[in-house]
Amino acid sequence: MDTILSLERVSKSYRGVYAVKDIDFDLRRGEVHALLGENGAGKSTLTKIIAGIIAPSSGRIVLEGREVTFDEPSEALAHGVAMVFQETSLVPTLTVAQNLYLGNEKLFNRLRGLYISAQTFLQSLNFGVDPAHLVSSLGAAQKQLVEIARAVHHKARVLVFDEPTASLTPEEKRYFFSLVERLRKQGVSIIFISHALEEALQIADRITILRDGEHVLTESAAALDRDRIIAAMVGRTLSNELYGHASAGRSTRARGARVLSVQNLSMGSMVKNNSFSIYAGQITGMFGLVGSGRTETAKIIAGALKRDFLHGGEIRLMGKPIRYRIPKQAIRDGIVYVTEDRKIEGFFETMSIAENLYVGQMAAHRAAQRVNMAQMQALAKDWRARLNIRAIGNDARVIELSGGNQQKVVIAKSLLQRPRLVIFDEPTRGVDVGAIAEIHQLINELADSGLAVLVISSYLPEIFTLSDRVLVSREGRVVEEFTRENATEERIMYAAVH
Amino acid sequence: MIPFWRRLADRLLGRGESAVTVPAMDGALQPNTLLDQARVLETALEPDNLVRWQGGLLYTSGPDIRRVGQDAPLHRLPAPVACLAAWGDETLLAGLADGSLLVCAGALDGTRHTHWAAGRPMACPTALWLQDARTVLVAEGSSRNAPADWQLDLMQRNALGSVWRLDLDTGQATQLADRLAWPAGLAGDGQGRVLVSESWRHRVIRLPAQPGVAAAEVLGDLPAYPGRLVPGPQGGFWLALYAPRSQLVELVLRETRYRNDMLRELERDHWICPALSGKRSFKEPLQRGGLKQMGILKPWAPSRSYGLALYLDADLNPVHGKHSRADGRRHGITSLLEHEGTLYAASRGGDMILAMEP
Repeated sequence: MDTILSLERVSKSYRGVYAVKDIDFDLRRGEVHALLGENGAGKSTLTKIIAGIIAPSSGRIVLEGREVTFDEPSEALAHGVAMVFQETSLVPTLTVAQNLYLGNEKLFNRLRGLYISAQTFLQSLNFGVDPAHLVSSLGAAQKQLVEIARAVHHKARVLVFDEPTASLTPEEKRYFFSLVERLRKQGVSIIFISHALEEALQIADRITILRDGEHVLTESAAALDRDRIIAAMVGRTLSNELYGHASAGRSTRARGARVLSVQNLSMGSMVKNNSFSIYAGQITGMFGLVGSGRTETAKIIAGALKRDFLHGGEIRLMGKPIRYRIPKQAIRDGIVYVTEDRKIEGFFETMSIAENLYVGQMAAHRAAQRVNMAQMQALAKDWRARLNIRAIGNDARVIELSGGNQQKVVIAKSLLQRPRLVIFDEPTRGVDVGAIAEIHQLINELADSGLAVLVISSYLPEIFTLSDRVLVSREGRVVEEFTRENATEERIMYAAVH
Repeated sequence: MIPFWRRLADRLLGRGESAVTVPAMDGALQPNTLLDQARVLETALEPDNLVRWQGGLLYTSGPDIRRVGQDAPLHRLPAPVACLAAWGDETLLAGLADGSLLVCAGALDGTRHTHWAAGRPMACPTALWLQDARTVLVAEGSSRNAPADWQLDLMQRNALGSVWRLDLDTGQATQLADRLAWPAGLAGDGQGRVLVSESWRHRVIRLPAQPGVAAAEVLGDLPAYPGRLVPGPQGGFWLALYAPRSQLVELVLRETRYRNDMLRELERDHWICPALSGKRSFKEPLQRGGLKQMGILKPWAPSRSYGLALYLDADLNPVHGKHSRADGRRHGITSLLEHEGTLYAASRGGDMILAMEP
């Protein structure tokens, strides 16, 4: 296979701090090349340079034998290089079809024709998304599918996927992998960023690993295994700190007082007569497939969604019925929700770490407050140290941080409210292995300190690692409870499916 | 005015007190089949209040006080026995279905009390706690209904219960609390205060040491109706929950007109209300039948009767429970007693005394 794209000693620095440094990278024609590394390793920066989103500080990009420089993404696209972002960059107020053809509009667009061709195209990809639907009405997984379809639609020769499967269901992942296979056969070269190492090992031909902005290794996927990848990514053996091993010796925490009692909660067709309890000093894991109503239930508890107006059920916090119109009221009562969709709901991406944290703190106050810059900086300094948020400084914009550090900012924003109940929704989605271990440790410390913790996760190893008790959600309600001792993968999956 | 409008809005929208909701049986209350696996110590007709007396285990059954392992009753009283208490091996006191209290053994043997202070007749003793040989605390479930009419009292949504301290010698009575919704269990908290299980409010309260202070809820929002409360090991307690709550019953309790019609027109066995056991009649409301599929009774079915014994720690937090689910028969657990490493349970609905590991 000949090389379609190569990067030679590419660097990118911000105010003297290197995001990537002297990277050599090559992509062969018709190859799937996985790019792995911890959050902050420089994967996103590197791919953004390839896609023309940011300009390198130094180094050369050679595309099909010719040196190129991309000033903006449209130039890269014109050269056949497209990128599918980790968090979708679709226009929510446009339809799926309009998003697909965004940037390729003609002078006069016939909407019906647009829908028909979009429908044909989406069907050819086996994507069950209605082209006439507004993007804002789609779920996270469907948005990701549209994002992928848009990149494929541009007939790119080099496709960059940044965490494409993070929000996909197992079924959708299968479609995605078969799509990747089809594209590979057509000679499309694919750069694939994922934190799911098994996926990378499954579909990649070669794997490149970055650490702290530097190139560590590039090898054939067949020559690597999970442990070696992790060791290369973090510079130490982490697999024992991750799923399964670290928690094996831990005993179940004693159950404290019942902090939250959800009773016959209902919200449309998503949450149906749902009842369960959360206890202090324990981590309650909630497992379920996508669409099982877990997130909606959590959002109702946190005041972000409203239950049915008539007979919507009851939620009791420390025995007292609660019903919130807005999340602020829940925060005041000590309930915080760490969202699964951090980019949309978790932070203001163009604001700094300090501003985001300060806004979070101000949100809980009743009256308007004067902004105190010194207090803001002290707050940021304190929480950056506590959660090991790696950034150039307190004033670094959150959008410039890696996924794991962004997630830590979201968690810090929640924890500074001094909650008594913390709800984590997919706490490690789109987060690298190093940050996963840190976030898991943090969640354990919260439970050890006596807080009630609910962890919603679609990833069973995470549920096993963290949970003292496991609730299984199916079709809008909790259908089964397992203790730590009697929970097995088979039993949980059976409860989630049947 | 605001409480009035709030209540009206709650009633219209099914919120607050009008919410037709029942807490989940999870965590400490996670269902199991431990009561169904327990050893049957003795079968008897509707056995009730277990007490330890003179080296033996006593229980009540109709008008009899019986000793486990003996065919003949120890005492046959003039009316069905509603509750029983012992002070050491000396005093034995029974509360009768006619409302009176009768000393069955001890220095005051034969003494009978029929009235509280100011000549008010005793109506409904549900639980007794002898503080010494002559002083007893009495839970009176209702001033209007007899102990056997507990379903009627629930359906009438009464809160006519009270707790009294009575000197068995002089008959002097002091009311410790009133307007309780069927107090059915009494115990001391180890600090000189009294714990009372209040069935219709699904909670356990602690009576204040000083009069005039409101009782504090120490355990609330239970998914079943709490009954007798007895001391357990390590400063904890065993709580017998004799019937389950269900959304259907909660709905009926909020529908006054429907409920009144039901009380007036239907036989008691067919009321939509909790029960100590299923009579296995097809006329019964939602007892098993609706959730029998392919001949199998679904254990998770919301049934009228259930078996549940709950262990609470010294802070009254539930720790673990023993269950007999909808497909079990050992329902209506009204009394528990732990002695020398064995937990005894009276299953009034299952007509048996059970023994098991605590």
